[in-house]
Amino acid sequence: MIKVENLFKSYGKLEVLKGITTSIKTGEVVAIIGPSGSGKSTFLRCMNHLEKPTGGRIWIGDQELTNKKTNIMKVRQNVGMVFQHFHLFPHKTVLENLTYAPVKTKGLTKAEAEKIGFELLGKVGLSDKANEYPNRLSGGQKQRVAIARALAMQPEVMLFDEPTSALDPEMVKEVLDVMKSLAHTGMTMAIVTHEMGFAREVADRVLFLDNGMLIEDSAPQEFFTSPKSQRAQEFLQKML
Amino acid sequence: MNLDFTQFIPSLPYILKGVIVTLKIVILAGVLGFIFGIILSLFKISSIKVLGWFADLYTSIFRGTPLVLQLMLIYFGSPQIFGFQIEPYTAAVLSFSLNSGAYISEIIRAGILAVDKGQQEAAMALGVPYGKMMWDIILPQALKNILPALLNEFISLTKESAIVTTIGVMDIMRRSYQVGAEYYSYFEPLLIAGLIYYLMVITLTFLGKAVEGRMRRSD
Repeated sequence: MIKVENLFKSYGKLEVLKGITTSIKTGEVVAIIGPSGSGKSTFLRCMNHLEKPTGGRIWIGDQELTNKKTNIMKVRQNVGMVFQHFHLFPHKTVLENLTYAPVKTKGLTKAEAEKIGFELLGKVGLSDKANEYPNRLSGGQKQRVAIARALAMQPEVMLFDEPTSALDPEMVKEVLDVMKSLAHTGMTMAIVTHEMGFAREVADRVLFLDNGMLIEDSAPQEFFTSPKSQRAQEFLQKML
Repeated sequence: MNLDFTQFIPSLPYILKGVIVTLKIVILAGVLGFIFGIILSLFKISSIKVLGWFADLYTSIFRGTPLVLQLMLIYFGSPQIFGFQIEPYTAAVLSFSLNSGAYISEIIRAGILAVDKGQQEAAMALGVPYGKMMWDIILPQALKNILPALLNEFISLTKESAIVTTIGVMDIMRRSYQVGAEYYSYFEPLLIAGLIYYLMVITLTFLGKAVEGRMRRSD
């Protein structure tokens, strides 16, 4: 589903990603972890071209993101993204947040989009909030709406950029639960996270990044019990 | 102080006709200025440098010279600029809209920059094209924040419109001045003009508050 080949990204002289190669299969749930500043968010953001790679190639399905001729907008419609700070549209109601992009970019009618929207709000447990404005919601509710908004585009891949890092502790679980049930539906997911328990339980694979390089790529069981690299060992020690 | 308003009562309808003239200039110039302002502000934040330079130069010229000079240049210079003499009304609308476009573009630019960058990223991540993102997501949020500043601009436009009297447009100002000349008494008709402008500005303020209230629904 996603193929990344020798990915480089620098900001001026600062090299953030130093040649990452990996792939994510359809239906796979991949947790991307690593110390802050390791480049994991940048890596994720390259996968929908919010960051423009300075080198290397990325494919989403059979579309090459890094090819100039590719219509990035079309690819993005197929790649949902959930941000740390939600970024809901504050001037639109919850339902309008969900229906806006499908109507404007995929040409759905308002009724079609609302049907999908209501369904998704049901799935994330927020049917009663359809006509509220985002400001009236808690952080956990906002993030669930943000997940539903991304899903409303009916993407094949979902990217999560530290989806629970900005939440109060008691709201983390409700968001993780939604993500867990999404993982069970067979959605292809790449998740940058600090929730080790979640990564261990839900992910099929763990990618450990450090200093812009992919240091480890292994099954969660293996990674959390016997990490190969010393960097990963040190990192896990600090986390526990 | 000896004030006699009664003698001016017959002239009131004549002065009040100027309200229509002033409004016709101010509303059209306001709308056009707002449109110019949006376009210029988009130029200013554009990644295409030439557009940014153009908009900056434009702003510096129209902000850096007196409005009354711009008005006269456009009116008296029109034979040289356009090849024919334009109507005073046209010159007024043209100069006011070009001038307020410069100011409004700075207001809107500030408003756009104040919108959280995440909004743009969220729209981009959903595959929403730039134009729709600007129009549906960024500008509505920017407008909400800059409404008080925009209102200021429209208020000053309303009052500054009085300078059209210098090129002979029959607005409130000129009419009250003429009435003064007719009676050899300027004070009262000018006071009447002042009251009319003040009432117009108050109305504008209330309208602005109402619009702001509507836009703050989502808070």
